[in-house]
Amino acid sequence: MNPKMALAPDTDQMHVSWAPQRRASTGVAASVHGISKRFKKTVVLEDVSFDVAEGESLVLLGPSGSGKTTVLRIIAGLEQPYTGRVILHGQDVTDLPARERGVGVIFQSYALFPRMTVEKNIAFGLKIRRRPRKERKETVNRLIKLVQLEAHRKKYPWQLSGGQQQRVAIARTLAYKPRVLLFDEPFGALDAQTRVKLRREIRVLLRQVKVPAVFITHDQEEALELGDRIAVLNNGHLEQIGTPDEVYNHPATEFVATFLGAANLLLGVVVPGAVEVGAVRLPATEETKKFRVGQSVKLVFRPEDVCLSPDAKLPEGCRRLANGVIEEVNFVGAYERLNIRLDLAPPRQTESTAALDDVTMNPPDRMTGVPIMVTLPKPEATAIRYKAGDRVAVGLTSFSVLPNYTLARQR
Amino acid sequence: MVKIPTLRHVRGFDVARPVSIGVMLAIMLPLVILPLLSIFLFGTSKGLGVFWSSLIAPEAIFALKLSMVTSFWATVFNVIFGLFAAYVLSRYDFWGRNAVIVTISLPTAIPTAVAGFALLLLWGPNATLGRLLDSHGKHLMFTAYAIILANIFVTFPLAFGVIKPVFDTMSSSLEEAAATIGATRWQTFWHVTLPSLRGAIVGGALLTFARAIGEFGSTILVSGNLAGRTQTAPLYIFAKFNEGQIEAANAIAIVLALLSFIIFSVLFFARDWLEFEAQEK
Repeated sequence: MNPKMALAPDTDQMHVSWAPQRRASTGVAASVHGISKRFKKTVVLEDVSFDVAEGESLVLLGPSGSGKTTVLRIIAGLEQPYTGRVILHGQDVTDLPARERGVGVIFQSYALFPRMTVEKNIAFGLKIRRRPRKERKETVNRLIKLVQLEAHRKKYPWQLSGGQQQRVAIARTLAYKPRVLLFDEPFGALDAQTRVKLRREIRVLLRQVKVPAVFITHDQEEALELGDRIAVLNNGHLEQIGTPDEVYNHPATEFVATFLGAANLLLGVVVPGAVEVGAVRLPATEETKKFRVGQSVKLVFRPEDVCLSPDAKLPEGCRRLANGVIEEVNFVGAYERLNIRLDLAPPRQTESTAALDDVTMNPPDRMTGVPIMVTLPKPEATAIRYKAGDRVAVGLTSFSVLPNYTLARQR
Repeated sequence: MVKIPTLRHVRGFDVARPVSIGVMLAIMLPLVILPLLSIFLFGTSKGLGVFWSSLIAPEAIFALKLSMVTSFWATVFNVIFGLFAAYVLSRYDFWGRNAVIVTISLPTAIPTAVAGFALLLLWGPNATLGRLLDSHGKHLMFTAYAIILANIFVTFPLAFGVIKPVFDTMSSSLEEAAATIGATRWQTFWHVTLPSLRGAIVGGALLTFARAIGEFGSTILVSGNLAGRTQTAPLYIFAKFNEGQIEAANAIAIVLALLSFIIFSVLFFARDWLEFEAQEK
């Protein structure tokens, strides 16, 4: 194979100072580079960079105050970054006003024009671009059909439900073929059921129109469902960016682990081929690769990654952690949630002789041991009826090892 | 229309209802209703013929026309300026902004005679600006323009006061949305902002017009009260009353009272249409 040809895709991945025409072929629809923002003396964003690929939907996930809305407003041109550049389809738009950027913003309040009908709202972008009447009419008809509002075309925004208003808002931006769609907390104003329904509809719609989209949300479930990739923001920092599977199953930081769903955290130290948690050793050759022996780490695992056994025999692929006592069992619908206290300081424990009678923990009412949360799927929970006070062997099917910084500046 | 909530905590016949309605009407009767009624009763007591002939007297027609025209131009100016001032003061923050807001609203609190006097002091024949005009052979005081100027001064805060709160409460995301869609500032103002202000503009205009057409204190000082030249309808009523021609005064009084009544009925009953935006919430 021609080595040059093999190299080509790689060089295209680089995104610093390519000429616009060059970048247009990379498949990157939008990117922000080193965005910082401060309001007065408060730092809102610090050095945030990411790309959105053509046709991709990226979710900016973070708690309120994490700066996610500011990122969106900077891309839209409603806010000026302190440093950094915004690039849309290869064109540096950092210094362009909002109206020249050609982005579509779906505001949380939808911001439909109250004195215009559905049709007129959708046609607004074309009207101000002085497009011929015929083209306007055709586009409006096509879009009204696309968002299934044929019966409501003559209505005013206040006559529509929240979901319908949102569809008008989307159609209104699609009319002028936006380069990227930006959704600001799109489901914030809706009830839980409508939310689930609408986000499926939006996914389908986005696949049809193939416009890249950036969503903003603080809802992790929404992020996992909507995003091809998720960027987790915290305190103005980009903590991790990756596919839903990556950020959920391999969180890069403690914040990501705890913000996306429930997570158990245990402090440990790296020993050759394992992590030592208390007096027990959890075999972890793969996970500890990038750490040196003796380094302080955090062991992170999700409640559903725990396997339990009423006798000492843990299933295949489940690495033994310790023994524990069940403290509480809660039935929460789809699964059962157990609070377990781990005995991390058994008197003598080896891989071969770890039997349940080694558990020398105090009775549950004494509340000793390290608490963890475990969830069991329904079939497993019904097969073995665990109850408070039961002694169990605890193992992990998967987990992550994160560095445990003792000083903030090591970060 | 506003729905009146029922008093659900009251059981059986509510004595307070007829009593309180009665007391309210009894207070209103001598203060508002009877005086208004007496204009109509007295004005038509000598027959409609007398009423009609006093109404179509050339001086009376002139006074009514002058009032209409001067009030109209004062309204046009104050609505446009009020809109502009409200836009500037709700969109831009600057040093002294609050002081400007207070100053704009001030004319409501100033006695109208003081307003007229102030205008005379500035534009009168012996005043600074007045003399400047004089040297160009022009006069402002004691002309119809002086009446417009006085009307503008007195009704200055009305349109502004109605429009400004609507600007303040208007969500900025509408204008931001228009900008991201690609609208220029002017397009945004014309297509998005202005339509939302329709109710406030109409309301402010009616209020200004109603106030201007009845203006007396400042007008009598700056107009010179020259019958057939600078005499507005309220001045005409006053002049005829002084001359003892009660019927002549009364005919115009009826017209002015009816006009105010119509304007305020429109304001009241058209509220649903004017305040369209209330339904969006």
